[in-house]
Amino acid sequence: MNPKEAIQNLISRMADNAFILGHRNAEWTGIGPTLEEDIAFSSMAQDKIGHAFQLYTLMHKYMGGLSPDDMGFNRTEKEFLCCQFVELYTNDYAYALIRHYLYDHAEAIRYQLLRSSSFRPLADLAKKIAGEIKYHTMHADLWMKKLTLGGNEESKARMQTALNEAWPYALGLFEITEAEESIMQAKVFTGEEDLKSQWMAHILPAVERFGLRIPAYAEPVFGGAKGFHSHWLSPLLEEMTEVFRTDVSTEW
Amino acid sequence: MYGNTFTDAEMDKQLKQNAEAESPELLAHFEHRIAAGEKIEPSDWMPADYRKQLIRMIEQHAHSELIGALPEGTWITRAPGFRRKMALLAKVQDEIGHAQLLYNAAETLGKPREAMLNDLISGKSKYSNVFNYPAKTWADIAVIGFLVDGAAIVNQLINSKGSYGPYGRALKRICYEESFHLKQGHDNFVTLATGTSAQRLMLQDALNRWWRPLLHFFGPPDRDSVHSGKLTTWKVKLASNDDMRNKFLDQYVPKIWELDLTLPDPELHKNEDTGIWHFSDPDWDEFYKVIKGDGPCNAERLNVRKWVALNSEWVRTALAKPLHNQIIWA
Amino acid sequence: MKSLDPRIDKLLQDMPPHPSAYLEGQCWEAYEVFQQPNTGESYSHVGSIHAPDPEFALLFAKEQYGRRSHTANMWVVKSSAIVAFSPDETDIFDTTPEKVYREPSEYNKVRDKIIQWQEKKQNK
Repeated sequence: MNPKEAIQNLISRMADNAFILGHRNAEWTGIGPTLEEDIAFSSMAQDKIGHAFQLYTLMHKYMGGLSPDDMGFNRTEKEFLCCQFVELYTNDYAYALIRHYLYDHAEAIRYQLLRSSSFRPLADLAKKIAGEIKYHTMHADLWMKKLTLGGNEESKARMQTALNEAWPYALGLFEITEAEESIMQAKVFTGEEDLKSQWMAHILPAVERFGLRIPAYAEPVFGGAKGFHSHWLSPLLEEMTEVFRTDVSTEW
Repeated sequence: MYGNTFTDAEMDKQLKQNAEAESPELLAHFEHRIAAGEKIEPSDWMPADYRKQLIRMIEQHAHSELIGALPEGTWITRAPGFRRKMALLAKVQDEIGHAQLLYNAAETLGKPREAMLNDLISGKSKYSNVFNYPAKTWADIAVIGFLVDGAAIVNQLINSKGSYGPYGRALKRICYEESFHLKQGHDNFVTLATGTSAQRLMLQDALNRWWRPLLHFFGPPDRDSVHSGKLTTWKVKLASNDDMRNKFLDQYVPKIWELDLTLPDPELHKNEDTGIWHFSDPDWDEFYKVIKGDGPCNAERLNVRKWVALNSEWVRTALAKPLHNQIIWA
Repeated sequence: MKSLDPRIDKLLQDMPPHPSAYLEGQCWEAYEVFQQPNTGESYSHVGSIHAPDPEFALLFAKEQYGRRSHTANMWVVKSSAIVAFSPDETDIFDTTPEKVYREPSEYNKVRDKIIQWQEKKQNK
């Protein structure tokens, strides 16, 4: 794969992840567990959608292709390269928080590594949004700590159950695609394996400190980065694009 | 102070006891302060009735913001394009933010947040009727964002001059954020009005459905409302329903007509001499019917808040501590 | 009746007939929030937050009070820690505006004195 396609692959995966997770997290706006947390969680969902917009914009500017709105609202399921983890629907706040924790730490490390990307626009974006991402992991860390080390038996149990369910999907965050070699060779990114090992180095001891157990064996849920999705994505996209698709060429 | 056994009946009993102790001197001094433009703060002496009326008013306003997030929330997952998606999210988030500010303001008067939320989901406390109507299409979001928010701003601007400090401060913050709501609402409205014929049709249909609830927004006509002179003296009620409704019509009807959109009322016109807008009777029976709980979405709105209470119970309980003396300064 | 909000039906289908209510303390405790708009400026009171503890209070305050205007930093303080004068004590502030001997504006006649003295000197 040539460097340009490789970069497009990387950015698409990042943007699609941010977009779909942002959409999922935005589903809590107005119905969050407390007023203050509703507000905080909504801000982070907006941030994620904003990151997706910035990534699609960057890609469009430097590499051509579809406009951000068309990337977000006018592609088929197969064209999306998000991992399956972000697609899952939930109305269980424990699961929402666990996903927030596991995903946002991976994202934070990814952006940290991208600060030295050979693709300058991406490096610049990584530096620009570092502060926003910091709040996301700060928020996730506090909730994890308080519901496990603080909290009560019920909160600990719920977080453990959510972790059990989320873990295989979280491992699916680090899918290797055919673009990987080109990405690493061009020094755009140090690669999914590097990201995964740094993420593990942070998450495993942290989860242990929280008194939670990582599932003994979990098969990573791959496929998303290659366009193979869970049964959740198609209905999500249909719903999300319902109004946009009534007329894709007009201004909304 | 009141805990979850707080009821209107108990409040009334306590207030009646306090009222018997209320001296005419204290009342005169209180009213003199208000007439002089002073603001009343939480620990100031106030007549029992002032406290009661303000709690009711601020609480209802808080509930309106909380429930108001739901009709617009209907289209959160389906907003077309990045700009609209993020703007709608920010807007609905603001509604929750406003609810938070208002619950805190009401709480300074002695009613805990728990008690207010319980009264909401039990159906005991009211909220603005307009939010009991469904947002049927994307264009409803444009109408709500422009006109319902516009109506709310007329209300809020006037009430921000009221006598109770914490409420005034909350309203000041709210008014500032509402200016974003209004602009993006108008932007959305104009985009649809000047867009494709399908978009225009969708908007006109939404406008036709929301017009009557909008007229109802400011409450029954003055001739039918029970007026308390006290509330005016105490700067709790600062303008009549008819005055506010007229202000709204004056500001927004021209903006609707300039886009060649119609309103479902052939009688609607302004008397240029008096400055008063005339309109056909918007069916006040329907207003009372919906306020009593028999509107299209009343049950759903409360069911969602019940679900939130239920779904979040484990979170709130896990982190709750035994309560001791609570004071809020807002 | 089916909801028009695609989120809502998914929520409500699982709801058991449980009489949900908020129990005392479940909405946590109140914290006052102070915001410093830019470095070097004073912190101002902007409102309050309900939180289980100070760390959460700060986290929530960031979004509720800091999502629009520029913020350099924030303080949160438990509302019950605030100490204030009671309303019947606030008359201790009544005469403050009258104490002009402490105000620069009271000392505006210096130039006149100099002129007067110079004129007297000249007339000698």
